[in-house]
Amino acid sequence: MEDQPGFPEFVQQQAGKLLEQTLQHIGLTFISLLIAVVIGVPLGILITRRKKLAGIVLGIAGVLQTIPSIALLGFMIPLLGIGAKPAIMALFLYALLPIIRNTYTGILQVDPVVIDAATGMGMSKRQLLYRVQLPLAMPVLLAGIRTATVINVGVATLAAYIAAGGLGEFIFGGIALNNTNMILAGAIPAALLAIIFDWAVARLQKLRAQKVKTALYFLPFLLVILSSFYLLPAAYGSSLVAGFTPEFMGRKDGNLGLKQVYGLHMRTVVISDMIMYKAAYEKTLDVISGSTTDGRVRAFDLQALTDDKHIFPPYYAAPIVRQETLDKYPELAPALNKLSGIINDSVMTELNYRVDHLKQDPAAVASDFLKAKGLLQVAKHGTKGTVVIGAKIFGDGYILANMYKLLVNGYTELEATTKTGLGGTKICFDALTNGQIDLYPEYSGTGLLVILQADKSVVDTLISDNQKVYDYVSREFMQRYHIKWLPPIGFNNTYALMMRRQQAADLHITSISDLKEYLLHH
Amino acid sequence: MIKLEHVNKSFHNGKPAVRDVSFEVNTGETLVLLGTSGSGKTTTLRMINRLIAPDSGQILVNGESVNTQQTEALRRNIGYVLQDNGLFPHYTVAENIGIVPTLLKWDKKRIEERTRSLMEKLRLSVADHYDEYPQQLSGGQQQRVGLARALAADPAVLLMDEPFGALDPVTRASVRKEFRSLDEIHNKTVIMVTHDVPEAFELGNRICLMDKGAIQQTGTPAELLFNPVNDFVSNFFQEQRFWLELNALRLTDIRSWLSDTVPGENHAPVLKGEDSCWDALEQLTTLSAPVNILFNDKLVRIDTSELMHAFTQYKQTVSGHGRSTRLS
Repeated sequence: MEDQPGFPEFVQQQAGKLLEQTLQHIGLTFISLLIAVVIGVPLGILITRRKKLAGIVLGIAGVLQTIPSIALLGFMIPLLGIGAKPAIMALFLYALLPIIRNTYTGILQVDPVVIDAATGMGMSKRQLLYRVQLPLAMPVLLAGIRTATVINVGVATLAAYIAAGGLGEFIFGGIALNNTNMILAGAIPAALLAIIFDWAVARLQKLRAQKVKTALYFLPFLLVILSSFYLLPAAYGSSLVAGFTPEFMGRKDGNLGLKQVYGLHMRTVVISDMIMYKAAYEKTLDVISGSTTDGRVRAFDLQALTDDKHIFPPYYAAPIVRQETLDKYPELAPALNKLSGIINDSVMTELNYRVDHLKQDPAAVASDFLKAKGLLQVAKHGTKGTVVIGAKIFGDGYILANMYKLLVNGYTELEATTKTGLGGTKICFDALTNGQIDLYPEYSGTGLLVILQADKSVVDTLISDNQKVYDYVSREFMQRYHIKWLPPIGFNNTYALMMRRQQAADLHITSISDLKEYLLHH
Repeated sequence: MIKLEHVNKSFHNGKPAVRDVSFEVNTGETLVLLGTSGSGKTTTLRMINRLIAPDSGQILVNGESVNTQQTEALRRNIGYVLQDNGLFPHYTVAENIGIVPTLLKWDKKRIEERTRSLMEKLRLSVADHYDEYPQQLSGGQQQRVGLARALAADPAVLLMDEPFGALDPVTRASVRKEFRSLDEIHNKTVIMVTHDVPEAFELGNRICLMDKGAIQQTGTPAELLFNPVNDFVSNFFQEQRFWLELNALRLTDIRSWLSDTVPGENHAPVLKGEDSCWDALEQLTTLSAPVNILFNDKLVRIDTSELMHAFTQYKQTVSGHGRSTRLS
């Protein structure tokens, strides 16, 4: 962490990408805003005339607003796939409520005497709307657009989870990679965008109604121009589309390695691990950054490409524990070590398959497995102390954490609780060093490259030998963080590029080099 | 010309708001709809420009049923003044006045000329207020703009709903006076709603007194005072009866009870026969001396006791039922 470059240097290095993401972010925000205005304002006007509809329309828009943004994005995927469409749809739905509601209240709060005067003087409904109601409702209506803009700038960061780009790519990449500069490079521009747009609409609100008229003629053009930003970066492309997780994008043993070692350049979108496998299966993506033991590899019939130039180091999973906790409870380590050497690659894939695809409860899967291996003991409900077991948000973590919980409860007088779903290496590791959790399963390769961020020279000497990597991280972790690597569990969960089995066969691609060759000629 | 024939209106609660209302107002005449809150006077007014639809009955404006006319066109030919002026806060004074001419697609120059001339007539400084917004004006000025806006397209009919009701008494009196002296209203049919009795007497050629949705009596102020058709009508004016009576009676009405005293050295007439007894009393008490009145036939000189004597005589003759007054 100390040897990371400074924030200005990072921004300078990544200026191109930052600009691209910022433009995408603005584009996403304003396309959805534009649609929301085009649909929301007439809807708001309609419900001032048909009062019976008002409750229903505002109710539905209100309910949409309460759906957590990440879940709303999730709902959109089965309907619209991944990429810009579901992101825009979700952002549009979020922007809808403030726009409809403020149009509605803005028009209703116009002084009834003024409406009466306008009607009495012989204005038609249309003239009343355009000359009286809308101009007088404008400050309130603009306040709604202002709210919607700020909401959209914020929620648009989540678009990176479903391959729609935007500043969320840096933010999630940074969180996953324990790279503060990267997080800031996404978060600061996102915050600035929110502040700038908020300020700009606030200015518009304060203009006298007269001048607003002129300003409003420009607004649609401005919205369209800002919206079109999204299309600019999409101009380049290749015949195959890759979807990589934010973490993979920034890793030396990830996309950076692919570029440096293989010279592989392809159209790449950033996507959440949660939907990446399915997107590959549904042919939205052609190449993904999978992990070898993931159950969905089997479920969606994907094939891992051979890493013929060895850029993906071995990732032996082992529990890492605070030394403090081990000293306090000496009985803990033997209980955890009961799992050591028990689970190999295929077993882990099978377990993941049951959780990810067959939707079985991770706790039940863990318990069944221990029972089959004769390791399950009835919980002692000990009162000697509490051990908190963490796990990262994806893959193996859930199941392993549950197994450890059963082992601790069964073999010691300690009470174990789990804290799963920690969103990435950085969050998990920070929780461990802060003492919020006592242990979590980690991979040797991640320890080396992400947490220790070892020099290239060190990495090169170690990378080909599993044992050397494990020894190095054990030593360094103890020295630097006072954290103990217990013996490996047995399986090796490494990154791999994956394609649909059928497509890989059709294109005669079996290794990453084959893929690169194919892309050169197509 | 406006004519209502057996107009009825009930609202959702089923209670009749207007019951069998009929009246006729001629061009150049001002009819005041007078009554307490809930008497149905505003509902009656709003049915004329179709802001409210009657349940039954006929309403004719300039000889044509309002139902056969296109609503917007009808309203553009009817000036409409509201109690709370209803000026557009996002329009300047000039734009507010020009609303109806704009709807009627007058050309810009004509609208501007008309706006300037109306502002001058209503004593609104064009230089100061033309480009101001309503919020920058005083209450009296706002109401003047409301009046100018109603008159802008020179409509044949003017409907006024408590036009001076929101103003303080001093401002109200001055705006009212300006309204009365406007040449514009003399060729119009005016219907005004008010609950203010002195205002009704000052501005109305005829008064239509309403209660619980029905007309109690329609007639000149003097008719209502001296020939009330029922107790409601006579009780309605009880509070200010003396002042109202003096106000409602013109000097010509009591001419026959005045002596023919010819003025001596001072021949200058002070009052005319058309002036009210109240005007004469005011002059008499201000000057503390007899005043000259110019009737059609001759110039006559009266003093206070003579005026009050003739007034009392008139009342005894006209009101057969000898109702007592505050005059004692």
